[in-house]
Amino acid sequence: MVWVLIVNTSTRPAMSKKTVRVSLSAMVILSALTFLMYTSISEGAEYYKYVDEVMAEPEKWEGKRLRVHGYVLGDPLVNPRTLEYRFTVQANGKTVNATYRGVVPDTFKKDAEVVLKGTLTPDGIVVEPDGIMAKCPSRYEADALPAAVR
Amino acid sequence: MATLGTTLILVAFVVAAAAFAVGVAGGRRRSASLIAGAVGLSHVLTGLMLILTAIIVYSFVVGDYSIKYVNSYSDSSMPLFFKLTSYWGGLDGSLMFWVTLLAIFASVAIQINRERHRLLIPWVVAVISVTQMFFLFLMVIHNNPFETHLLSTPADGRGLNPLLQNFYMIIHPPMLYLGFVGMTIPFAFGLAALITGQLDDSWLRAVRRWTMTSWLFLSLGLALGGLWAYEELGWGGYWGWDPVENAGLLPWFTATAFLHSVMVQERRGMLKVWNISLVIMTFFLTIFGTFMTRSGIVQSVHAFGEDRELAWMFTIFMIVILTVSFGLVIWRMPLLRARNELDSWASREAAFLANNWILLFSAFFVLFATMFPTISEALRGERLTVGPPFFDKWMLPIGLTLLLLAGIGPLLAWRKTAMSSMGHQLMWPVLSGLTVLGIVMALGVNFWAAGLCFGLCGFVFGTIMQEFWRGSGVRQRATGTDRFTAVIGLFARSRRRYAGYIVHLGIVLIFFGFAGNGFKLEEQINLEPGQQVAIGDYVVTYDALKVTDDGQKQMITGHTTVTKNGKPMGGMYPARWFFRDREDEPTTEVAIRRGFAEDLYIVLAAYEVETQRATFEVTVNPLINWLWFGFGILSMGTILSLLPERSMAFATAKVPEAAVTTGLMLLLMVGLAPHAHAQHVENSQVVLLVPRSPVEKKLRDEIVCMCGTCGRKRVGECTCGTAEAMRTEISELVAAGKSYDEVVDYYVKKYGSQEVLAAPIDKGFNRLAWFLPYAVGLVGIIVVGGVAVRWTRKTTDVPVVAPVQTAARQEREARLDDELRDLD
Repeated sequence: MVWVLIVNTSTRPAMSKKTVRVSLSAMVILSALTFLMYTSISEGAEYYKYVDEVMAEPEKWEGKRLRVHGYVLGDPLVNPRTLEYRFTVQANGKTVNATYRGVVPDTFKKDAEVVLKGTLTPDGIVVEPDGIMAKCPSRYEADALPAAVR
Repeated sequence: MATLGTTLILVAFVVAAAAFAVGVAGGRRRSASLIAGAVGLSHVLTGLMLILTAIIVYSFVVGDYSIKYVNSYSDSSMPLFFKLTSYWGGLDGSLMFWVTLLAIFASVAIQINRERHRLLIPWVVAVISVTQMFFLFLMVIHNNPFETHLLSTPADGRGLNPLLQNFYMIIHPPMLYLGFVGMTIPFAFGLAALITGQLDDSWLRAVRRWTMTSWLFLSLGLALGGLWAYEELGWGGYWGWDPVENAGLLPWFTATAFLHSVMVQERRGMLKVWNISLVIMTFFLTIFGTFMTRSGIVQSVHAFGEDRELAWMFTIFMIVILTVSFGLVIWRMPLLRARNELDSWASREAAFLANNWILLFSAFFVLFATMFPTISEALRGERLTVGPPFFDKWMLPIGLTLLLLAGIGPLLAWRKTAMSSMGHQLMWPVLSGLTVLGIVMALGVNFWAAGLCFGLCGFVFGTIMQEFWRGSGVRQRATGTDRFTAVIGLFARSRRRYAGYIVHLGIVLIFFGFAGNGFKLEEQINLEPGQQVAIGDYVVTYDALKVTDDGQKQMITGHTTVTKNGKPMGGMYPARWFFRDREDEPTTEVAIRRGFAEDLYIVLAAYEVETQRATFEVTVNPLINWLWFGFGILSMGTILSLLPERSMAFATAKVPEAAVTTGLMLLLMVGLAPHAHAQHVENSQVVLLVPRSPVEKKLRDEIVCMCGTCGRKRVGECTCGTAEAMRTEISELVAAGKSYDEVVDYYVKKYGSQEVLAAPIDKGFNRLAWFLPYAVGLVGIIVVGGVAVRWTRKTTDVPVVAPVQTAARQEREARLDDELRDLD
């Protein structure tokens, strides 16, 4: 809507040829960009699911790019030499195993709320590099923490 | 205290409502007494908010843990400083802080514009009051920071997460708030202009400065957020396209667009609807950003929690803003007709328009991609997200196009650029861009995207330099001064234009820093003590793992030594800290070695205390400091542009050129001196052990660190590796029974001079060294004072004593203006 308004600023009462040209090109450019955005987004998109949603029908999600939201169950196991982590994530009663290799955020620990980026295999989620997002120690949402964490 | 606070919030809400009502009445009846009443009420509100702030700060300081908010965000062991800043530690306090800032801004803006924009003021008060009412309403029913525990009062608070107890987290949120809150003032003036129909350019002049100030705070807020992520979080990056980060970026895009397009309206009377829409959208996006991150509508690393109630209230407020504002715009459409049409696409205004479209598209794109999970859930019932690669893919070409425009825009003339002058204008900048491109390509940099980015940086840099060179050339010929004074004169005569170029220079440096990101080196390795890892030009040797404790926290530190191209660079000490009572939340302490070319960044990722093995992540971040430096230049340019007209008047005053030049050079040198020591390597892991005897303490105060780069800090204060070694040496010497004089002699002999002493020994010739700084200082004061007296005398004398000269000067200035206009 704003776009149309803008184009109108340079109009005299009757639409000049120039205005038509400008508005047409603006519309063409915008629709082309929107189209490009829409098509390119499907390549990069990931499904955002809670653990229980994924584990209800794991076969359906295998091989797809996922972001899985849940809570770390128990202490994560780590091999300090290879930085290989093994841990379990749960949400609403369902659990899934996960493996990761690399540096984890400071807030990644037992009971932490995390979002994992990766793919699901029969053995669990293989998290991609830098794919662990642990809830920021928010100054803002202290009450949103589950009671178990306190 | 809590009851008083809650009551005062209610009173504040009533006052805001009254200010709104009186403002509307005053505006409609044009009654001077009603308007004065509305202004008075808004000042009263500011007073109330300041009292509320005082109450909550007091509660934090005395530790009134019966108040839930104080209990949640502080504890008795926190230093006073962090207690004070816990005020904006959580959502409830942030809201109050927000209203307080808005009230202060509003009072100032109203006071300044009371006379000049008499008709707008009542409506400005009304619009601001509505915004304040909304936030006060939220506080009353939903987020009262003074809420108390109903049953038992806890003995102590829960404290603040250690990750947040650092300098950046104190300064970063207020900066962003200032930027966000400040955008309300232009919005209020814009709506007031729409309501009253006073839609000439005068409202724009009233808000341009406010927008620029808010824009500056917003930029600083974004930069500080990046710095915090880089230095504290330890993932080696500074921007992750997280929704919370994006929320700050959205209004930044539209405000940047406004700051450019406002020039088109002032100059050519075009884009009126566009400008008012940008002001409205910027304000809307500040509210939307808050909504997005606080209501849990978009999942973010910073805020997972969902809050339906808050979401609804925000949604209603946002719908009201959009309907009322754009309703007014459509109603006033006839008054917003442009005075001119776009004459040619090869014109300055067309470049501004292109810049605006791209900036607006950036805002649209970031908004779309950030909201994509919500959008896809609504459309397809499936929550889909997009990650940083998607953002990067789109923002890279967009950013480069903007950079290109920053180079082309200033070269185009208003209305229409003659093709013949294009070659003359473009030659040097294009040449400079191609040279840079050629050099980096020869060094093996890929054309896409780093090479292109470097090339465009060169191009824009060329444009800026050419503008300064030609502008100052014109001035030099017209006024007959030296080149340097002429450059200062440019700022005096077209301050906004040339300060704008300084801001562009900052942008160039920021992009220069971005380009370095492509050459990042990363290595993750598990080492035994004595083993090494090579990365880029560096070799990092892992020496030992040490466990220390300073009473507040336990520190596990990986001691490493670094060499660059075989040259020793000293030690680096990445660590993990375990704070008392928060042992399950260790903080990563990154060791960073900063440099102009690159940063060496070491993180202690994991360790085994028994075997002493440790895993490190070592990163080389090329050019990253240019990013922060660019933000510094950008701020300087903005401040320069915000300075009042008078501040540059001295440069146009007629004074002996040499005096001005020397004076300014001296000023510059004084200003630059501290930066000469920028190479000092901070090592936050050094533990300052308490001196064991008075002699040792005295020695620490009087002997300076000899690392050569820390600017001769006292050994007792310096935190670098050399100082630590020297402290150990001193305490060994003292322990060996050496007296004070013997140790001093030892150091004087060791370094061959008294250089190692903080102050020269007070004997004979050395007295001169004591006296010299004072003498230089005194002379400096006399010189500066003398110059100041001359300047003031000249400016007042000229018109009175020498009318002929004045006429000549006027003529000359008229000619200069003409020539400058030709350049435009």
